Amino acid sequence: MSSKTIEIIVTPNGQTRVETKGFAGSECRDASRFIESALGQQTDEVLKAEFHQTTSQQQQVRQGE
Amino acid sequence: MSHIVQIQTEVRDLVAVRAACERLKLPSPVIGSHRLYQGTVIGLGVELPGWRYRVVCDLVNGQLRYDNFGGRWGEQVHLDRFLQGYAVERTKIEARKKGHTVTEQSLEDGSVKLTVNVGGGV
Repeated sequence: MSSKTIEIIVTPNGQTRVETKGFAGSECRDASRFIESALGQQTDEVLKAEFHQTTSQQQQVRQGE
Repeated sequence: MSHIVQIQTEVRDLVAVRAACERLKLPSPVIGSHRLYQGTVIGLGVELPGWRYRVVCDLVNGQLRYDNFGGRWGEQVHLDRFLQGYAVERTKIEARKKGHTVTEQSLEDGSVKLTVNVGGGV
């Protein structure tokens, strides 16, 4: 059982970087959206390796059914 | 899945501006008409240390109006600190509204790291 956290780094000039950790499926986007929309305009988004791994594993399960 | 998002901060929340001012030991922000070098603007005025004119937050569009004459009428570092304080306080307020716990940590490079604990595993 891993914990789900949202990590926010606020730089000395007030810009922010939001990173989700420990979420399954697509819920990480929903989980952190309230913080992202409260802070301002999104300028960049990167999907981490975990995202692609999770997706391909799910596809394999479906293909095996 | 996990993702990383970069955000350009917009100042839209009165409560978080007040909290940022308290955090930085600045005078309470004032709603009203504020004089800049050229004309007056309406919004939430924040008094920064050594600044000739207030920084005026337009909470509707999230933008700031100020006139520091390229640093001669107010150092940029104070505005940066205010924006950082605002982003930190806004994040804490929003996370607590959702019932999440937040821990704050100062990093060596001057950044602030906030960890929002959303709960246990799936």
